[in-house]
Amino acid sequence: MSDQQAIAPAPAWRRYSAAPPLLLVGSILLYVGVALWTGQTRMLETDGVIGLLQRMVGLGIVALGQTFAIIAGSIDLSVANLISVAAVLASFIMQGRADMMLAAVLIVLAVSALVGVVNGAIISRLQVSPFIATLGVGLILQGLLSASFTDFAGSVPKEFQLVAYSTFGVVPYSVAALFALAALASFVLWATRFGAHLYAVGGNAEGARLAGIRTDLVTIGAHVVCSLSAGLTGLYLASRLRSGAPWVGRDGVYDLESIAVVVIGGTLLAGGRGGVWGTLAGVLLFATLDAAFNMLGVSAYPKLVLRGAIVILAVAVYTFRTRGHVA
Amino acid sequence: MEQAALALEMLDITKTFPGVQALDAVSFGCARGEVHALCGENGAGKSTLIKVLGGVYRPDGGTIRLDGREVAFSHPIVARRAGISIIHQELSLLPQRSVAENIFLGVEPTRFGILDRRTMRDEAGRLLRRLGSSIAPASLAGDLSIAHQQIVEIAKALAIDARILVMDEPTAALDRVDAGRLLDLVRKVSAEGVTIVYISHRMVEIQAVADRVTVLKDGRTVMTTTLAEAPTGRLVRAMVGRDLADFYPPRSSLPPGPPTLNVRGAANGQLHDVSFEVRAGEIVGVAGLEGSGKDALARALIGDEPFEVEAMEICGRAAKPGHPRAAIQAGIGRLSDDRKREGLLMQQSVRDNATLIERAFAPALRSPTAEPMSPQSTDKRLIQLDVRAASFEQEAQFLSGGNQQKVIIARWLARDPEIFIFCEPTRGVDVAAKAAIYQIMRDLARRGRAILMISSDLPEIIGVSDRILIMREGTLAGELPGGATEEEVMAIAVAHDREPHAMAS
Amino acid sequence: MTVAIQGGRERARAVALVRRVNFAVVVFLALYVAVGLLQPNYLEPAGAMNFLRRAAPLAILASGQLFVLISGGFDLSVGSLVTLTVIGGSMLTANDPSKTWSTIAALYAIGLFVGLINGAVVAYLKTPSIIATLGTLLSVNGAAMMWSGGSPRGYLPDNFRMFGRFVFHDVPVIGIFPLAVAVLVAVCALAQWGLHGTVFGRRVLAVGDNPRAAELAGVRVEFVRLGVFVISALSAVTAGVMLGGFGGVSVDVGRGLELQAIAACVVGGVQLLGGRGTVVGAVAGALTLTALFALLTLLGLPQPLKDTAQGFILIAAVAIGAWRRRRAV
Repeated sequence: MSDQQAIAPAPAWRRYSAAPPLLLVGSILLYVGVALWTGQTRMLETDGVIGLLQRMVGLGIVALGQTFAIIAGSIDLSVANLISVAAVLASFIMQGRADMMLAAVLIVLAVSALVGVVNGAIISRLQVSPFIATLGVGLILQGLLSASFTDFAGSVPKEFQLVAYSTFGVVPYSVAALFALAALASFVLWATRFGAHLYAVGGNAEGARLAGIRTDLVTIGAHVVCSLSAGLTGLYLASRLRSGAPWVGRDGVYDLESIAVVVIGGTLLAGGRGGVWGTLAGVLLFATLDAAFNMLGVSAYPKLVLRGAIVILAVAVYTFRTRGHVA
Repeated sequence: MEQAALALEMLDITKTFPGVQALDAVSFGCARGEVHALCGENGAGKSTLIKVLGGVYRPDGGTIRLDGREVAFSHPIVARRAGISIIHQELSLLPQRSVAENIFLGVEPTRFGILDRRTMRDEAGRLLRRLGSSIAPASLAGDLSIAHQQIVEIAKALAIDARILVMDEPTAALDRVDAGRLLDLVRKVSAEGVTIVYISHRMVEIQAVADRVTVLKDGRTVMTTTLAEAPTGRLVRAMVGRDLADFYPPRSSLPPGPPTLNVRGAANGQLHDVSFEVRAGEIVGVAGLEGSGKDALARALIGDEPFEVEAMEICGRAAKPGHPRAAIQAGIGRLSDDRKREGLLMQQSVRDNATLIERAFAPALRSPTAEPMSPQSTDKRLIQLDVRAASFEQEAQFLSGGNQQKVIIARWLARDPEIFIFCEPTRGVDVAAKAAIYQIMRDLARRGRAILMISSDLPEIIGVSDRILIMREGTLAGELPGGATEEEVMAIAVAHDREPHAMAS
Repeated sequence: MTVAIQGGRERARAVALVRRVNFAVVVFLALYVAVGLLQPNYLEPAGAMNFLRRAAPLAILASGQLFVLISGGFDLSVGSLVTLTVIGGSMLTANDPSKTWSTIAALYAIGLFVGLINGAVVAYLKTPSIIATLGTLLSVNGAAMMWSGGSPRGYLPDNFRMFGRFVFHDVPVIGIFPLAVAVLVAVCALAQWGLHGTVFGRRVLAVGDNPRAAELAGVRVEFVRLGVFVISALSAVTAGVMLGGFGGVSVDVGRGLELQAIAACVVGGVQLLGGRGTVVGAVAGALTLTALFALLTLLGLPQPLKDTAQGFILIAAVAIGAWRRRRAV
């Protein structure tokens, strides 16, 4: 058997999404444009730009984890509730004491990992659709949390607030951490078997199973990563707000927004294709929109309305050319 | 030296599902390097047997031996580690990933825990070259043709040093040239010492490639024999349990009527300058290789991917259907080649499936059982087509392939279109149901309908059609009368764009 | 084909009969009896009527959500639409009873508009309905806040609140008969007819089962999608008008109702991602959830734990459904 002509490798644009560079350029143009138009040129100086990057951290960390879940063909709607749990748990355990910091962080991460295992196991073992499984787990978490705490609980010590408020030179720790985590996530996806298997399970779960991949473990792994990232976001919020309250996750709409930025970043909602740099570019777009609304002086409620519309439109840009059916 | 044990031996394999005995003490064995064909009608138990071998199902009883050693598989991964590789009918490649990533799926080479992409690429290239293919390891699997995807599947099997390779209808979606190449590859791989279990409905292929054959019927082994002792007639008899003398119904002796469908110079992105007519009462077959445009033609006629340059008349009236609904209104019906994705409502009842088209066109608030959608008139059509189901309220997913196909035909009979397009009407359908479907087509023609049959199955094109159109490179390349030889059809189908040696496969 | 095992035919017939009765109906009756044992007045006609009155908004939402779920989608915007209905009702009537009817008409028009937006985004922009309706949820909630300035106050006029509160007294046999129950019965009958008694209902099932096959058979899939989202939105306005009569005007009357409605449907055996479901199941699921909440309240569990219970139920109902389907194949 011989081929008449060699089958060429796919051109680069087929293999790599065009989303990240486009989003990056678009965000920069929007940010600079609005700053110039409103005459707030100080937003273009170092402090303004750092402020913009800092807006990315909370959503950015959880969105990195959400990218893993979505690439594996799953989705996680429990992240907002888990973020609240993590923030409250951290500040409740610390009670303002620096010596409890390590214990609190370890306990929060352990709880997050456990939630990830539960999510993944319900999906892969009980075969509950990811949407319902994580929604249900989110409700369970929120119910337990709200039953136990009704307001800000405890506080974090000064030392822990450094996470959100301290800097290396001009670069805040939190921004550096976000990019370090993104680099780590990108490495895991590109250069490990776990990464390869995530794409396999998301692209064709049955095919992956027949190829001998333990798909249930991969799904659980993806959810552990996702929940850990939600736990980290919770810790970051506790540090920034100096305490955790049971509504911090829900008020940030982290569930919907993390999914939206992942999709906007070029990751297929059905799984099997995508990456974290696109997600980060999507987060930048959202941070830019937020900053632009502020500069334009849009008040809180119209901002909510616009946000919903923007999420829909931003996702629709990727979906409206779909040939098949979508429900 | 004592005689070597068989490479694979399955003894008295039994498997029961709730209410059905799928396998009843099935046994067969193959020597090292043997190509062993497995055949039988749909539902005979082939797929179940293969799933037992692949570790997807656990058998209720029986033993599996590899090289004389008894084994038991609890998960596909265990079977794979034991050297068993299965190429399923539904290809399992990841369309968004590279060929190299697909070939090493689940067995990725690593260095210090990090994926060794260079080794993956080099090894993938080496495996593909060993198969005589020049597919680039970096290309996306989803960009490859079905034929090339099959090659990648074989390379995937070789990547784990498979000792036993099971191929489930590997040529079902391939045209004749590609199928011929695949058979060459099967011989080549078996010559390297790999044992091959080959499942196919196509007798010609089995005759061409297999050393021995095992026939299953109703979950039991009917016979195992060498091919030399088993002419096709005997195999078919063993599979069906009776002779199928007049497989193809006789052609009509009446001259065809006026042209029902008249296409002049139609074109779109994949087709150009297509002109032909189909007359009332005739069956026109359309043959062609994969990518010749014969599937695009069907999609264009039903408005799914419509013609852009249009010159189409139905019963003398100009028609320009822009979407399927318009095509149906203009009088075109089409039986899809993919009944699972494009035909059936798997979880709805047989009756609901058979009334889908009437319900698509009835006023939205009408009762779903008003005439002509009533159970009485629907059942009449289903019985007329001899649809076998436990009850017509049964869900369509539980029917056999042939019966599912008949349910979809019943759906169209209710509409009774002037022009009927049959795409691969007998794909995945067993021998007895095939004959029935050909008879239905002939009956429709006799009632004055115009029939266009698009098929990759040459014997069926030749046996059923009154005229044969042959497509090549997006246009009609020639026409032959019914009963032409396979060589004549192939000569037109492959002219110019293929080397002559490819014809005689 | 395969060999059927002989015998056990009568048992199979009995099993088929039990299967035909919706599982949720059985669960509901069991729960309701448990509630009645703790609080006997639930077992009196007046108690039962009051229970139905309280269950009515959720049951109405569930019978609307049902259409979307069967078509293969989700409608997460209904809770926020309930909120918008209540707030919009108070803003538009401005304590003037004579404006009630025009206000209700305007609210249905808003519902129609939101439903069309949801349907159009899913059908034409091909955005998955989870994302599309989550986006609408945000926008509609924002609109409700904007309209009321964030701090709604006061009550709706009495003739608006009638739908939630009015009760016919001295009715033979049952004693009292709330207007809300009458609305519930009417909505259920309408849904039953729409899903099981019309060609449209079969198209919804067909689209949910296999949209491509439906399209190739001539079904206008886009219209079906528009239709189901409009039905769901109109049911949300109906539930909102009713809830307006239950309590005061606030910004979180509707919070979480979308999930309760989906949970009710799932408990009632509706299959997520489409193709399977009944009105009886959805309504029985809503009654089951309401009975369960009543039971939890009687047992003295704090309010937030209702969420937790609902989470468990949601997962368990889907897991049991998946398990039964695996066993059946």
